[in-house]
Amino acid sequence: MAILIQKDSAVLVQGITGKEGQKAAAAMLEYGTNVVGGVRPGKAGEVVEGKPVYDTVQDAVAALGQIDVSAIYVPPFAAKQAMMEAIDAGVLQINVIVERIPIQDTAYCLAAAKEKNIQIIGPSSLGYIAPGIGRIGVVGGPKQLADEVFMPGSIGIISRSGGMTNEVSWQIRKAGMGQSTAVHVGGDLLMGTTYVDLLRQFEMDEQTKAVVLFGEHGGSYEFGIVEMIQKKEFTKPLAVYVGGKFANVLPEGMNIGHAGAIVARGQSAEEKSKALAAVGVMIADKYEDLVTRIKPYA
Amino acid sequence: MNLYEFEGKEFFKKHGIAVPNGVDIIRGMDIAKAYQSLGITDVVVKAQVLSGKRGKNNGVRFCSSLPDVESAVSDLFSMNVRGQYVAAVRIEEKLNIDQEHYISITYDTDTQQPVLVYSNEGGMDIEDVENELIQKIPLDIRNTHVQTDIPFAQELWNCFLQEDCRVVEINPLVKTVDGQWVAADSKIALDDDAFFRHESWKELEPRTMMGRPPTDREIEVQKIDAGEGYYRGTAGKYIEMDGDIAILFSGGGASIANMDALINEGLQPANYTEYSGNPPTEKVYELTKTVLSKPGLKGLWIAGGVANFTDVEQTFKGIVWALDEIKPTYPIVVRRAGPFEAEGMELMRQCAERNNLNVQLFGKESSMSQTAAVLADAVKKI
Repeated sequence: MAILIQKDSAVLVQGITGKEGQKAAAAMLEYGTNVVGGVRPGKAGEVVEGKPVYDTVQDAVAALGQIDVSAIYVPPFAAKQAMMEAIDAGVLQINVIVERIPIQDTAYCLAAAKEKNIQIIGPSSLGYIAPGIGRIGVVGGPKQLADEVFMPGSIGIISRSGGMTNEVSWQIRKAGMGQSTAVHVGGDLLMGTTYVDLLRQFEMDEQTKAVVLFGEHGGSYEFGIVEMIQKKEFTKPLAVYVGGKFANVLPEGMNIGHAGAIVARGQSAEEKSKALAAVGVMIADKYEDLVTRIKPYA
Repeated sequence: MNLYEFEGKEFFKKHGIAVPNGVDIIRGMDIAKAYQSLGITDVVVKAQVLSGKRGKNNGVRFCSSLPDVESAVSDLFSMNVRGQYVAAVRIEEKLNIDQEHYISITYDTDTQQPVLVYSNEGGMDIEDVENELIQKIPLDIRNTHVQTDIPFAQELWNCFLQEDCRVVEINPLVKTVDGQWVAADSKIALDDDAFFRHESWKELEPRTMMGRPPTDREIEVQKIDAGEGYYRGTAGKYIEMDGDIAILFSGGGASIANMDALINEGLQPANYTEYSGNPPTEKVYELTKTVLSKPGLKGLWIAGGVANFTDVEQTFKGIVWALDEIKPTYPIVVRRAGPFEAEGMELMRQCAERNNLNVQLFGKESSMSQTAAVLADAVKKI
């Protein structure tokens, strides 16, 4: 079954006339995703990758009917408006690839989305892929490469990093396993969809037997996992790698890697690993060890 | 970007938060003139550093005469405060304190919204204050008004929203014996991603939290991503470190995992550097030149995961241009995969051949950590 994506999900691309938006539309179509159209203010009537372009999300909904997912590919200063348009039009799932959105704009949109029970994945999320079903965004790259890395299987993958979503998925595949869904949650301080949100979805998903997670120092999201395991809300095998052990030599408040990877007391890679291990999570010392930890449960 | 106390207080003043009278001194300025301009005898002399706990670490001095002030200033300039470089010194009127409170606004990752934190037990680390004495008020980012009578709450919220802050904190928030509320200290972190709507931020001096002034290389690299296309693939991250292994990583997550792997192998990084989001060839070229300009390098590790959409050929072309110019003699280990990986690796191979470089190339058949071990071996052999 996988999570987040269904075979017939109708997908809209906001910013489809831009270089990255067009590339994403092509990548999704190539992978069999049901991209139905795109949005770019002032470009209504154009056609990109064979799909119609509309001025607004509202116009697209009026013309195309229900949109299940909107993928947003606009510059950071236009991101708030694009997200709010999708939220106001009632699109229930929004993937935001845009990096470097001001945190205030992100918080604004997350508050608005929450009120309407809309799921935002990102910002700074390259997207997610359910092998053999479809993908939102550009995770996995060109289809030929994606097919070398992704194969339908039983491992759910969650990553703070786009590159590491692909890299960890590759290590899983190299060891002879496949993936149910691989999700890049994005590296910002605020995450529209957190580890806990996804683990809840993986728990319900029959195809997923176990989950691996690539985390980073900074932020408190890993501690949410500890709590949910204690409450038995997630019961499947879970292997986690938390990067950034070296960061403990850096001054507090310093940020390295992603925007959310801030050196802070109580949020170091070691403290997170320890807390997770205490509730039975398998901890990998190197990211490739995620594979050996999870293999018996595939 | 973290602000110094004196910069934060300018923001406070703008938003109607009272601050003590004061004057700021940078190295080489006339201390006597500055002190006398205040026209106050009893003053506090404070080191300007980028992180807290200054009081406990001898970074704050109380003085009552010019010789006292002069010796305090020169002493503060000669020290580091908890590893932080003293960029300036601020001389301020000494307040007659009745009470010390605490107030801050920051983002709460549990609610994904801002939270106002208040306590009337200020003047110490908020982490050391008992939970029962701390008030946490969730704020709605869409509402510009705060419903509370906590002093300066509305002013601080205005500052947080209008100045695109990630953190604003007043500790201590002082009530003087004559009943006035005054921000005795300031802590502000600005959101770097909002600089496009704050022209004035350009005037803030470059800074680093590494306990020293930023190096020429660090300042140089910041220019790479400047300008209109700042968000289109970044290649402007460079932190200079004490080791001798030059680093060129791709991707934020891979860079963190790889720093761990490098240190596990007993190697010491000369820098932390990461490019990502498919930066253009020219950006990668500029970045590589700067990374390799550090003297005393003993190795170079170019590593990234299996890229999604970063073009390995176009990014490697930038590295190759720099290698053609610099022709390093130390070992170079490369691990990368993704779109146009074959073409990228071929560029590297040819570059190594024509310049007689000591290069080992790896694709996705080896993990990144494995190639850290390869580099460690190669470096030890020399």
